[in-house]
Amino acid sequence: MNTSLTNIIKKWVPEKSKVIDFGCGDGSLLKDLIDEKNIRGYGVEIDHNKIQECILKGISVIEKDIDEGIQDFESCNFDVAVMASSIQCLKEPHLALRKMLKLSKQCIVTLPNLGFWKCRLDLAQGRMPVTPNLPSSWYETKNLHLCTIKDFETLCFEEGFVINEKFFLNDKGAKSAMASIFPNTFASEGIYLIAKK
Amino acid sequence: MKTKTELIKFNQGLDLESGARLDTFDLMVETYGELNKDKDNAILVCHAFSGNHHAAGKSSDNEALGWWDEVIGPGKAINTDKFFVVCSNNLGGCSGSSGPLSLNPETNELYGKDFPLVSVTDWVNSQKLLSDYLGISKWYMVAGGSLGGMQALQWAISYPNKLKKAGIFATATKSSTQNIAMNEVGREAIRKDKNFMEGDYLNHNVKPKSGLKTARMLGHITYSSEDIMDQKFGRKFQDIKSKIEGTVDYEVENYLQYKGEKFSDTFDANSYILMTKAMDGYDASFSSNGSLEEVMKRIKAKLLVVGFDSDWLYPPKRSKEIQLAAMNVDVECSCVILKGEQGHDSFLFASDRYVAIIKGFLDSK
Repeated sequence: MNTSLTNIIKKWVPEKSKVIDFGCGDGSLLKDLIDEKNIRGYGVEIDHNKIQECILKGISVIEKDIDEGIQDFESCNFDVAVMASSIQCLKEPHLALRKMLKLSKQCIVTLPNLGFWKCRLDLAQGRMPVTPNLPSSWYETKNLHLCTIKDFETLCFEEGFVINEKFFLNDKGAKSAMASIFPNTFASEGIYLIAKK
Repeated sequence: MKTKTELIKFNQGLDLESGARLDTFDLMVETYGELNKDKDNAILVCHAFSGNHHAAGKSSDNEALGWWDEVIGPGKAINTDKFFVVCSNNLGGCSGSSGPLSLNPETNELYGKDFPLVSVTDWVNSQKLLSDYLGISKWYMVAGGSLGGMQALQWAISYPNKLKKAGIFATATKSSTQNIAMNEVGREAIRKDKNFMEGDYLNHNVKPKSGLKTARMLGHITYSSEDIMDQKFGRKFQDIKSKIEGTVDYEVENYLQYKGEKFSDTFDANSYILMTKAMDGYDASFSSNGSLEEVMKRIKAKLLVVGFDSDWLYPPKRSKEIQLAAMNVDVECSCVILKGEQGHDSFLFASDRYVAIIKGFLDSK
């Protein structure tokens, strides 16, 4: 995860809150949040090697396929659920979002923007987009449900989710004026803090 | 590996959960490796139902390897070059600690069927006295599988400040109805053996071997899995020369006969009943009227819960229950479900991922 993304997430996560990170990878984000914001953190991951790295880092990690359901966790009262760069890999992203907002007050979602101009350019040339944010070829990608910034915000509106904060990054993983003003075309990645109405 | 086996006397006695009291008791203890100067490298390993203090290595050619030898030893998952590993035979057992085969100091006769009912919590309390005796104020980890995993969990609940980490493998917060049912079939086989004599067989110089054997044969089926039995034996016929019993047709039958026979030579029937009763009776949430969350709130140790796919005795969902309760009350807890082809017994074997995870857990801060 790039540093600006991590920094933004850090800003949005309240001190001492209870956080669950879906698709937590090697646990770096949770480790940072534990060290810097004193959170109580849990990660969910399916990749064996990454689970091992989490355990070695001392991060509480649960081996689980998010697609198989996360409703068991509803009793846990999380303050923040994080789903960084994995929402598009799920079988039913809209249902996953609903479930996440059932088990947590707020939810941080980051997603690659298929409307980014470089993606559009690739498509205009008749090819599937390959960008720093979408690095895999069509036959290797784990992404099942790619969307644009506009698509995602429409989904939030339709589902009745409130977007409390949002932030856009260009393909260098940095803040840029263009990405902020015209995110659907110039943001490579969107970061959202959403909640239920 | 530096190994020491010792019988330790505890003259302060122990009040048991049942209300009974042992005025004195002994624990047979085996240790591996060396306790460091700060006494902060000690790991307590708790054995499962039929295990004992002999967890690793072997001291003579005749002795069998310890029950967790794949996991404990120099350079292994629980590295004895680094850690001082302690394992004691549970009270009520039959490998040297006070149990039905010991002398009752009040009557100067063997306890036999009169050895009091013991529980997982009693074992943990006795192990606490053992840690005091060894001068270990905080275990680096308490770990075990199956009935041993229950002890590791109970340690974290009973003595939250006395352990840093708990390794809870192939177990549950309480035995299921099915677990109890299986155990009752085993006990019934023993009780109906004509040599059982209502538990008084020691005084008649007999042993209910046939009942013990049947109980163990059933046990072995529950510790294994459908796949591993298929792989190991398939439907292969036993060759005539090595048949243990004339009635045996298949290899799997011969295997169960062999294992059952061996077990009935060494295990004590009253111990069998005590141990399975302790297993059936365990319920981590008992002291808080069934609220697991309530008791788990006390835990300060970091937990590692491991379940195995092919385990149908304590299946993965039982591991997940522990993890969920921990997460509900903000206890640090990881939960991994491993493939493990050996059924419930998988926790005994050093599969690659299992080893890596235990090592990672031990190395983590």
